[in-house]
Parts: sequence; C-alpha cells; structure tokens
Amino acid sequence: MMRNLLFARALMGISLGFHIVYVAFGIGFPLLLMISELLALKTADGLYHRLARSWTRPMTVLFAIGAVSGTIISFELGVLWPRFMGFSGPMIGLPFWLEGFAFFIEAIFIGLYIYGGDRLSGRALLLCTVPVVIASAASAVFVISANGWMNSPAGFTLANGSAVDVGPWRALANKAWAHEALHGTLATYAASSFAIAGVYAFRLLKRGDGEKPLYRLGLSLSLAVGAIFVPLMFVTGDYAATWVAREQPAKLAAMETLPETTRGAPMVIGGGLDRTTNRVRYGLPVPGMLSLLAFHDPDARVLGLDAFPPALRPDANKVHPLFDLMVFSFFVMLVPSLWFWTARWRKKDVFSMRPLLALIVIASPFGLLAQEAGWMVTEFGRQPWIAYGVMNVSNGVTPRQVEWVLVLFVLVYAALTAGLLRLLLARTKNPPPGSSAKGAPREEDMR
Amino acid sequence: MGLLDKMGVLLIGLGLVMYAVSAGADFGGGLWTAAASGPRAGRQREALFQAIGHVWETNHVWLVYIIVVLFTCFPRGFEALSISLLYPLVFSLVGINFRGAAFVFRHFGRHKDARLPGVEAVFSIASVLTPFFMGMAVSSIAGGRIRVANALIAGGGPSNLILSGPIAPQWAASDWITPFTLTGGLIGLSICAYITPIYMTARTEGGLQEDFRRRAIAGALALGFLTSIEVVVSRFDARLFFEGFVRPLPILFAGLAVSCGCFTLALLLRRIYSAARWLADFTVAFTIAGFAAALYPYMLIGQLSFAQAAAGRATLLAVMITLPVGAALLVPSLFLLYRTFALNPFSGRPEKEIFPS
Repeated sequence: MMRNLLFARALMGISLGFHIVYVAFGIGFPLLLMISELLALKTADGLYHRLARSWTRPMTVLFAIGAVSGTIISFELGVLWPRFMGFSGPMIGLPFWLEGFAFFIEAIFIGLYIYGGDRLSGRALLLCTVPVVIASAASAVFVISANGWMNSPAGFTLANGSAVDVGPWRALANKAWAHEALHGTLATYAASSFAIAGVYAFRLLKRGDGEKPLYRLGLSLSLAVGAIFVPLMFVTGDYAATWVAREQPAKLAAMETLPETTRGAPMVIGGGLDRTTNRVRYGLPVPGMLSLLAFHDPDARVLGLDAFPPALRPDANKVHPLFDLMVFSFFVMLVPSLWFWTARWRKKDVFSMRPLLALIVIASPFGLLAQEAGWMVTEFGRQPWIAYGVMNVSNGVTPRQVEWVLVLFVLVYAALTAGLLRLLLARTKNPPPGSSAKGAPREEDMR
Repeated sequence: MGLLDKMGVLLIGLGLVMYAVSAGADFGGGLWTAAASGPRAGRQREALFQAIGHVWETNHVWLVYIIVVLFTCFPRGFEALSISLLYPLVFSLVGINFRGAAFVFRHFGRHKDARLPGVEAVFSIASVLTPFFMGMAVSSIAGGRIRVANALIAGGGPSNLILSGPIAPQWAASDWITPFTLTGGLIGLSICAYITPIYMTARTEGGLQEDFRRRAIAGALALGFLTSIEVVVSRFDARLFFEGFVRPLPILFAGLAVSCGCFTLALLLRRIYSAARWLADFTVAFTIAGFAAALYPYMLIGQLSFAQAAAGRATLLAVMITLPVGAALLVPSLFLLYRTFALNPFSGRPEKEIFPS
C-alpha cells in the first residue's frame, strides 16, 4: 500500500512538474506580448510588433501542451486521489470551476490575437492581449487557491469524519491563498522572462546570426520584465515565509533544518539532517537569522522538528535542499539583471559583452528551477498531510494499484519530450514570422 | 432530488453533448484520416488536417469542464467512478495525450519542414482508441457491473480516524469489458465517424465533397445500427439500463434522435449540407439525452443516485450563481471570435472555407 502511495505521488508530481513549466510561459508570454504591442503603438516602431508576432508560434505550442497537460491533471485528480476529491470536491471545486471561465477567455483571445494578425488593427491586437494577461493570471490565482486550501483547509466543519456546513466561498478565501497566489503567480513572470532572455542572449552570442536588432529588443524587453519581478520574489517570499512560520511551523522547521526548538534560531545554508544524531551536518549556520527572517526578531523562539510527533514531520532532507535551491536561484537571476541594467545605464554596449550574455544564458533556467523547487517545498513540507491537519495523503489515495499507470506515463512523457525536442531543435527553413509584406505574418506561420 | 441537483445533472449533460460534437469532430478527423481511400485519399487527409487546424485542442476544455462539474457538484460519484473506471479512464488519457501532442507536432513540424516519423500513425491510432475507451467508460456506469458496497453516503467520511471513505466500490478488472460496454465504445467511435464528414461536406466541393458525403452516410448508418443494437444488448447484458430505457422520456429522446438521424440522411441524399450539419449535432445530443434519461436518477446505475452523490446546497448554489456571471464574460467574447473569423457558433469551425477538390 505504501508503495502504491509512492507511485501515485510520483505520477502526480511528474505531471504537475511538467505542467508548471508550460503554464509559466502561458502566463508570462501574454505579458511580454502586451508590453510589446503597447510599445509598438506608442513608438510606431515596427520592430516591436515583429517581436510580438515572433512569439506567437512558441506561445501556441506551449499553450496547447499546457492545456493538454492540464487535462491530464484533472483526470489524475480522480484516478489517483479519488478519496481526497470525494471529500474536498465541494470545497476546492469552486476555484477550478472559476478557473475554467478564465481559461476559456484566455483561449478565445489568444485565438483572436494569433489568427487576427491580418484582420485586426494594431490597437485591436493590443486590446486582445489585455484579457489574455488578466485571464491567465486569474487562472493561476484561482488554481493556487485549491493548493492554499490543502495547506489551510477552510470552509467546513468536521463532524464524524465528514465535512458539514460547507461554505465554498470561505474555502476559496482560505488563509494560505493570499501569499501562495501572490508568490506563485509573480514567479511565473520571473521564470518565463528569464528563460526567454536566455534564448535571445544565446542567439546574440552566436556570431554571424541574422536578426540582431530583433534579438536585442527581445533580450531588453524580457530582462526588463525579469528585473521587475525577480526582486518582487524576495518581497513576496518573505511574506510567504512569515505566514508559514506562524501557521505551518513543521514546514518551516523542515525548510530550515531546525531539529530542535530554539530561541535565536540560526539559518542554515546547505547541509542536511543526520538522522542518527539528529544534528545538522555540513551546513553553514548564520546565527539568529532564521528568527529574524521568520518573526522579524533575532531572539524569537522557532519551533523545531522535535515539536512534532515523528509521523507528522516533513522530511527536512527533501524540503531544505529545495528551499536552498529556490533562494540560490534568486541570486543567480539577480546578478545578471543588475549587471545588465547598470551597464546599460552607463551607456555600455551590453549586447557585445560576451561574459554578461553567457551569464544570462546560464541564469536562464533558474527561474523555472526556482518555481519547481518552491512548489516542491510547499508539497513536501506539507507531508504527511494532503489537507493540512485534516486528512493524510495515505487516506486520499486510490485503493487500486496504480504502479503500471506511472510506468505507462513515464514512457508517454519520455516519448513526448523526445518528439518536442527534436522539433524545437530542427532549424526553421521558412522565413521568420512577421516578415511577410504587411509586417503581419501569414496564418500558416502560426500553425 | 432538489432543483440544484437537477441543474447539476443538466450541466454535465451539456458538457457531454458539447464534448461529443466538438472533440468528436476532431477524433473523427483522425479516424477518417486513417480510413482515407479512393483516388482522392491524399486530398481527404489534407482537408481533414486543415479543418482541425483552427481549433487545436481547445475542444478538450469541455472534458475538463465535465470533470470539474463532477467533482464539484457530485464528489461522491466522482470518487466512485474514478476508482471503478481506472482502466478505461487511463487508456483514454493516454490517447488524449498522444493525440494532442501528435497534432501539435504535425502542425509545428510542417511549418519547420521537419517531420517526426510515425506522427500521423500515432495521431490516427490515438484518435480511434480515445473515443472508443471513452464510450466504454460512459456506458460502464449504466452496465450494472460496478457495485458500491457500504453506500452510507450521509455518514462517515475520510479523516485520520477512519481509514476508508464512505463509498467502497467493488471492482474486478473486467467490470468494464462487457458486450454492453464494448458496443458503447463502438457508439463513441461512430459518433465521431458520423459528425466529422458532415462538417467536411460544408467545407469542400466537387469530388471531395462526394467522398465526405458517402462517409457521412456510412457514419449515420453505423450510429443508427449500433445504438439500436445497444438497446437489444442491454436487454440481456444490462438489465437495469434496459428497464430505465423503456420509460416515456428516454423513448421520446430516442425517437427524436432517430428522427434527426433519418432526416440528416435524407438531406445528405439530396445534397443539402448546411442544414444536415445542424441536424447531425442534434442527433448526437438526443442520443446522449436518451442515454442519460434512461440512467436517471442514477449516477452509477442501481447503486448511487445523483442525489446521493451530490455536494451540499452551498456548493451547488455557488456554481449556479457564478455560471451566469462567467457566461456574461464568455458569450460576448465568443461572439467576437466567431464574428471576426466567421465561425460556426456550434462547432467553432469556419462557416465557409472551401478546399479545392
């Protein structure tokens, strides 16, 4: 039975991990699109419009894969976690239901933008991007409410193991929603814009490749968005951490590998928990830092893992390294954005500074990595609960054997990834989109 | 059974019909790509390929919609179905996965002049298997083999004290494979085989149009034959369903489905394509309505009613209140989309886009 649970968790984790990457672009691209189309109208510089149209093809592919992987997840909610859904459906169904409307609106206006290249004016195209930006962000905010509910179940009373007096709106507005939605949604902008910046930096590094002005503009725009959102990750991350410190102390203790309840608790960088001695090994402690960050007081008392029964402790050796990876990624992204914008401010030719471009390429996957790591911190840190304090993961899983489903889906995902990589890496023989006579691409370009 | 529960059932029915006619047309595209034949086989494939082009996989939104309504409004039923229908659901899911990816890869690959080997075969196979397994899954709930033991819906519930939930479906690996569900799978497939060529007749002309006309007639006959057979099969293999079916409302819907189907055939024979398409949609809608009416009031026949499976009043009310709000945003947006591209508001496909024959 434990094995079955592990397989179910692994499959859900792989599916969500897959989905998150595509969704980051589904939310991030529309914002870049809107900014670019706005600048195209303001400056009457055709390059902005061409840049925006050049994104339509990757955006469509990523959006479609995001939609398909989202369909898979909705199936898996039932196939893998029927007990959990049977219990929580009346509470967490509402955000999924509302997300459906947002997704539909997003799909409609993406369709209008993509296929309307020839039929709509520049102003109309800009107006099409606005609902896409709003709806895609709203989708994320709604879906994260369901995850917030798992961390802070609300909107019901437990009577005889059954949920009574269910209030779906109270469930929607659970206490974990605000910080998770804020941090999680803004993260998609940071992650996607850095990944896109990396592509342009890479193209600029390759000498003798054409379309330099387009690449420069693409790099500047994506790094501008990145430079705005990366610092916001720190601010909203602090907000999230102080909430976790208050409401989910076991998760915080695992995030920071704190074995014992301590006053003036240190923050440990790296290292891991030695299970036999219950001591942190190899880590670099910063005295009082954890108390300061979690409670804004260097002497504050922080609950350690020993404050919780062993069965209710999350695994610090999973949660802590992932938390460190997330924080580390923040700095990896911060350095090149600061470098890029100070160099530009000093009127240097940033586009020929090869070490800077190389650093941007290196930093480009770290936003997505941070997003995955942060999500896993939330999930591993909540263990063993599927709904915090209410229901164990082992009580939510299907009673049926699902090992074969995991094996099947690993094969499916491997085949799809191989196919996708093969196509993405194949060089385009057709002219780039946007180079047709009217400056707007032909419809075939987007297919 | 309260009004809110009934509205929930209607929402699921609406989702099933929309999914069948929109995604069904996509699956049918894959099916008839595989079954393309005659001197214009290549052009048939090309026209089908182009026809799906405009809507990619947005039609699967309806499937997600059905799942969300199920677990929001009928969580206990969703739980029971998810446990007992593991195999057909997973197989459908794999099919959707490969189909969606193969579709994107085909378009993307065509643009880049880089083709993946076997991608068209994967697309066709997945297009055939997915509606087949979905048809099996849907008919399984009326097959009468799935039992729910200990159906104490009101009391009990998951917590850390009680290990098992209130619903304990008992299953055997072969529950979902019976003559009744196998016929149900074929009906799922024939819905797709019927819908797609009728849409295509409005988008083609000349010899190509004749090809699709013949295929539409074949699909209509197959659907009519299989649904009639299913009623006979249920007499022996799914007794509860048969008893549910021989009631006034299911018979009425079945009669309407047969009338629409026959009328569609007549229009196809007379080459009146624009009206045939609408009637085809109604044929499918009444077929599904007939099935649902025979099943009603059960969600899982003989075991679990919709009322027993339903969520509380507050949740159902929240769904019904937000529905018009969401619709108020969606309907004008859809109108804008359809007006801009002159799309058929039911199928999401262009009203007129002729492919040379």
